[in-house]
Amino acid sequence: MTVIELNGLTKSYRAHQALAGVTLSVGRGEIFGILGPNGAGKTTVVECASGLRRPDGGTLRVLGLDPRERRRELLQRVGVQLQEAALPDALKVGEALRMYASLYDRPADWRALMAEWGLDGKRRTRFGALSGGWKQRLFIALALVGDPEVVFLDELTTGLDPSARRTTWGLIRDMRDRGVTVVLVTHFMDEAEALCDRIAVIDRGRVAHEGTPGELVARSGAGGTLEDAYFALIERNAS
Amino acid sequence: MKGLGTVISVELRLAVRDPMSAFFALAFPAVILWMKMRNGGTLPGGLPLIEAYVPMLSVFVIGLATLVVLPATLAQYRERRVLKRLSATPASPAMVFGAQWVAHLLLAVLGSVVLAVLGLVAYGMSGPVDPAAVVLAWLLGALCLGSIGLLVGALAPGGRAATVVGLAVFFPMVFVSGAMSARETLPAQMRAIGEWTPMAPVVQAVRAGWEGQGLPPVAVAVMVAIFLVAGGAAVKAYRW
Repeated sequence: MTVIELNGLTKSYRAHQALAGVTLSVGRGEIFGILGPNGAGKTTVVECASGLRRPDGGTLRVLGLDPRERRRELLQRVGVQLQEAALPDALKVGEALRMYASLYDRPADWRALMAEWGLDGKRRTRFGALSGGWKQRLFIALALVGDPEVVFLDELTTGLDPSARRTTWGLIRDMRDRGVTVVLVTHFMDEAEALCDRIAVIDRGRVAHEGTPGELVARSGAGGTLEDAYFALIERNAS
Repeated sequence: MKGLGTVISVELRLAVRDPMSAFFALAFPAVILWMKMRNGGTLPGGLPLIEAYVPMLSVFVIGLATLVVLPATLAQYRERRVLKRLSATPASPAMVFGAQWVAHLLLAVLGSVVLAVLGLVAYGMSGPVDPAAVVLAWLLGALCLGSIGLLVGALAPGGRAATVVGLAVFFPMVFVSGAMSARETLPAQMRAIGEWTPMAPVVQAVRAGWEGQGLPPVAVAVMVAIFLVAGGAAVKAYRW
């Protein structure tokens, strides 16, 4: 069953065309990776699909709803972790989770979430005093606090140390196993290879390639890892 | 409006936790009261000073909380993408605005309570003749000045800019509107200028209620009008 369907999505910021017709679909319970160079339009895809930005053209459906028309309804069922978002420095971890939980009609149990993401010991720590890795964990927990059916994670593990990345991967797989659909924007090929069921490579505002990690490797003819395949595919796209 | 109560309580805690806003809204007005009361005495007309300064400074507190602290908080939230994160939840802009306004209103309530307690305990204040009128005037004043603060917070590009604009609006106004020095003692020219500031009707109404003269209808009408116009403009100008 398809939960995200984008068709010919376009978006321009003044003279810059960020999306030049993005078409992709994500099935329920998938971990779907979005890869691509900086400025390729990855974040714009996520922002349009989660209702934070209005695309200029094309059609889109997320959980059967058009984010342009039923944004608030959609945001009850979708969780978002944004790049570069922040919380007030003086806000404590427990307060942040409790407050965000209060915004949803049917939230997850924020205390359980806090424990699951290892934030119990940081409950009374102010956001401003958290290290980058802990902030990132808190943002992921906040993306899940509405008990969403679809989660968008933009640069999930940026700022995490290697062991925290491993732990996070495990928690993302748990999420998928519970039936949550995960859309993952990442720069890390090993992460995409380890986690994603399917991947879209976005380049200059279009989906240049789409498939399972194995299919992309096979298609590239480069053999080896997804990273080798990615560079071969991007290069081919440029010429 | 889901979560309104929780957001208000968290925002109020943040305001009190911030040393700057806690000092300005809670301690600073009390210090001014102490300075003003050092010599004691009465106003021309025979009103004991304390019966004028507590209501006046409670308006001063509304101004600090809603014209200085509130816009700075809101603009800083936008600058640091706190609002952007909130926009990815079911919270509506009206809810975020409402929560900010109520939280800063409660901050002003705390500051006013400090003043009233100080007046009662240290200066033998007898208190308002018409408490209901004072509460009504005070709330209308908070709506009126709060809507201006929300407008500044909606328009200012960042926290620093909002603080500068907030202080630039607040300081001249408290001097000429009679929130810091009693209207009766202001030079005629200054008072004439002060009449045109949005704080003047608030001071007038709160003091009128305090002295049991009933609420002046013009002042009430002006406060309501400012609330509607500035509040409407703020909601229109709002960006996440």
